[in-house]
Amino acid sequence: MNSARPIFIAGFLLFASFAMAESDGVLSDIPVFQEESLTAGISHVYDGPWEYYVGGGVAAFDCNGDRFPDLALAGGANPASLFLNISKPGSRLKFSEVEDAIPERARTNVTGFYPIDINNDGLKDLVVLRVGKNYLLEAEKDCQFKIANSKYGMDGGREWTTAFSAMFEGKQSFPTLAFGNYVDRSAPGSPWGTCHDNFLFRPKGTVVPQYDEAQVLSPGYCALSIMFTDWNRSGLSDLRITNDRQYYRGGEEQLWRIMPEKPARKYRSAEGWRRVMIWGMGIAETDMDGDGFPEYALTSMGDTKLQTLDGATDDPPRPTYRDIAYEKGATAHRPYAGGEIKPSTGWHAEFSDFNNDGREDLFIAKGNVEAMQDFAEFDPDNLLLMQANGQFREVGNHSGIARSTRGRGAAVVDLNMDGMVDLVVVNRKANASLFRNIGSRKHRGKNTMGNWLGIELNQADQNRDAVGALISIKTGNKVQTRKVQIGGGHASGRLGFLHVGLGVAERASIRIKWPDGEWSHSYRVFANNFVVIKRDSPLANYWYPVQ
Amino acid sequence: MGLSGNIMGIDDKSIYRKFGTGLALFALLAGFTGSSLGNELPWEEKVIQRHIDIADFQGQLDADRLTRLRNAGEVLFTGKFTKQDGFGRPMATQAILPTKSRYAAQSDFQRLAGPDANACSSCHNDPIVGAAGHSTANVFVSEGFTNANFDSIDPQFSNERNTNHLMGIGLVELLAREMTRDLVELRTASLHKAKRINEPVVVKLVTKGVSFGHLAANPDGTVDLSGVEGVDSDLHVRPFSHKGVFSSIRQFTVNAMNHHHGMQALERFSVRWTGETDFDEDTVETELTAGDISALVAWQATLAPPIQVVPENQRWAEMASQGQELFANIGCSECHIPALPLESTLFSDPGPLDVAGTLRVSELENGTTYDLAERSWIKTLPRNDEGHVMVPLFSDLKRHKISDAKVQVFGNELLSQRFVERDQFQTTELWGVGSTAPYGHRGNLTTLDEAIRGHGGEAGEARKRYLGLVDSERNAIIAYLKTLVIEHE
Repeated sequence: MNSARPIFIAGFLLFASFAMAESDGVLSDIPVFQEESLTAGISHVYDGPWEYYVGGGVAAFDCNGDRFPDLALAGGANPASLFLNISKPGSRLKFSEVEDAIPERARTNVTGFYPIDINNDGLKDLVVLRVGKNYLLEAEKDCQFKIANSKYGMDGGREWTTAFSAMFEGKQSFPTLAFGNYVDRSAPGSPWGTCHDNFLFRPKGTVVPQYDEAQVLSPGYCALSIMFTDWNRSGLSDLRITNDRQYYRGGEEQLWRIMPEKPARKYRSAEGWRRVMIWGMGIAETDMDGDGFPEYALTSMGDTKLQTLDGATDDPPRPTYRDIAYEKGATAHRPYAGGEIKPSTGWHAEFSDFNNDGREDLFIAKGNVEAMQDFAEFDPDNLLLMQANGQFREVGNHSGIARSTRGRGAAVVDLNMDGMVDLVVVNRKANASLFRNIGSRKHRGKNTMGNWLGIELNQADQNRDAVGALISIKTGNKVQTRKVQIGGGHASGRLGFLHVGLGVAERASIRIKWPDGEWSHSYRVFANNFVVIKRDSPLANYWYPVQ
Repeated sequence: MGLSGNIMGIDDKSIYRKFGTGLALFALLAGFTGSSLGNELPWEEKVIQRHIDIADFQGQLDADRLTRLRNAGEVLFTGKFTKQDGFGRPMATQAILPTKSRYAAQSDFQRLAGPDANACSSCHNDPIVGAAGHSTANVFVSEGFTNANFDSIDPQFSNERNTNHLMGIGLVELLAREMTRDLVELRTASLHKAKRINEPVVVKLVTKGVSFGHLAANPDGTVDLSGVEGVDSDLHVRPFSHKGVFSSIRQFTVNAMNHHHGMQALERFSVRWTGETDFDEDTVETELTAGDISALVAWQATLAPPIQVVPENQRWAEMASQGQELFANIGCSECHIPALPLESTLFSDPGPLDVAGTLRVSELENGTTYDLAERSWIKTLPRNDEGHVMVPLFSDLKRHKISDAKVQVFGNELLSQRFVERDQFQTTELWGVGSTAPYGHRGNLTTLDEAIRGHGGEAGEARKRYLGLVDSERNAIIAYLKTLVIEHE
């Protein structure tokens, strides 16, 4: 027996226990991020007076046809910017600002951006949320945009707009748009108890969409995030609205029933909707337990809420939600680093699989509103890794994202097409953070975490990105789902490949429930690929990031 | 000799006889073998007394380290695993993905769904250890997701499989890696060209003289795979198993260890992936380390390939020679290609194509490499003008439709396996076929003649020509195939 061995073993155990303590009981791979905004060429700060304490969104979408996501960043009082992604596959991130991409009028006072193909030409247009007139920007080739408000009959309003969501209803050719508004600054007594109403625009017209008629969703309670969501597996989407209790009186979280060709109305407590009052800043959706009824993460000051449907067993299901954040370890109510005991302030939230282990994790952008003394000043963004036991574990402090920034909007998206999701966070009064995922803590680099897929859907004619589609990914006995959605987050949206982690599975079967409810056949694909699935095509196409 | 679990080929008797000086011998062994499996406590009821540490075998292995690794691999290949090793998987199925059983297994040994074997060599033993198996040792392959604990041989539950021989599989894996490399390069080049000229580019997928159809690369980076034949959609040539669905010896070893023995390799079943330290709940946490799997891979990858003998029997030699010509003339060799050229004999483990769930080279500081050209058997293999080793496997490593409505001998299955339809199989390597009756993917064909007559689908024309031969010509082909043997005492 090697006499050095017992000493070696003891030393190893000591090291292992140290490493274990360092990872705080996290058994799965911990992804590590390298912040590269400046070397990548992204110099962008979201700033401004009170109106820009909130907002600060980013749209991640491809505008030059190479499928590498480009970034439109809100600037608030600073001009908004559009950055073209010129990263090489698998390499350090590189962006180049496209100076006049966004028309000048639409570059100022911007709180957020959402990408969507409004006119079905295959190019992703941009919705610009502003303090003041909102703009619909029609995309032209090579990341040029022009204002299309007149063309689309969209007035744009004058409100302080902070939220957006879109969906395609029934067989309509163009999307229904919903705008969420914050405080009505001109109302008497503002801002206390003076929240603006929200608006729903159903398109008219068959050749060019016309959004000249708004349905008012009243009362508004200072929305900071809205999301069309099929919460009850009906095949139809209702509108969830998260509201900031800071300024409302008698307000609450809202779920609006959106019925085809009828005015929308709120779900009432008699129907099962429970009154929840939070400083609602962002909505993220996922189906954690695979029962078809989504769970929702709602960020706030203090506890994050994680809502699951309690009324699922009723027939029809009732919109009664229960908070499971505590039991799942997802409250993220206090900074995990810095030693502050004051509560956190949460903004953008997004579920994604950061370590490709087949379990969706939760990212939350954090940061003090401005100088709120009752809330933590050093408030780093969270990365909650889902473990095999169904619990989230915080790894922000191990993955390199714990910075002293005030995060607002964000996008979780693979920027260098290496199969690992990266992260861009818009920060108030600081440069945007651009985090490249460089692999697991133990072994840096590509192919060091689980297997993955990137999935893009195409349909012909209308709704070309298949907004509203459900993707079902089967590996063995496990099924994960993803939805093509526009909305939620904090003034931030993305459209492109949807990322799925596959763990140790080498292949997967994908089925699509297209927006009109029709299920596709099974597409059999191999892991570690980007796949493009065109409706009615017998086979999936692979896409390769060739430059 | 060499099969009893001893590292240095010293037989048990000598240890028992020299028990008085056993400690000294033991110390010698331990000092020499380092961290490899030791026979320190011969009465212990376990195969694995000490796990292999992969760190001891990183980098290019010289003869000595390779011998140690191979010997450790042989112990693992031939050892009859026990409960103390972690044999059995009471709460896990045979699935390649870690999958829990719905119910605890009723018994440790289950002939159909597994665990169904004590040792790898329980089945891989005919005519020598590492070779094939009689029908007695057939296995029943199921995905292990639904109906995992089936107890019927009905093909609705499983695909029956006769044991393949493993001789020369290191060369096979190297061929597959090079072919994959070529196909991927063709795809990449055509994508670059399509982007440059802004037009779709169609490229023929040919490697080592084998055509895998064609692919259309679009300027936007997507590929149209509708013209691809006989290979997976990611263009990875997966050469192992009858259907050609496994990438590497390593991947297959991890799969098989779980399926047949309930021995779960950490690289797939560890807490990192499953969240549990004992996924199959058999009370043993560490069953197979990465080093153990590397040892198994080294042993298998370095197995000598089968050879072609020139029979001493004059008549046989003449018939075999005639048969060799006919084999080509009637078209057998279009798929059963007598030899494929191999550029490099350097075997790296982990290989370049494995994905999470099998150890990857990115997860180590250094992988393990050994040169198959240093094996003594390399002398039996000719080289072409470019110095490439001609590997006489008699296969194109391509999948073909082999069954149709008229000829259904190979179309008995009801389940597709890992995306491959039931009537498609990879061209069986015929090297060693003279030593490894019975034939067919489930070993139900007792003669080569039956196997040839069973070729439907894409082989239909060649089959017709075989049937059109006279008896003596058919016998000549059989005589030829009978010269493709596995060397053994």
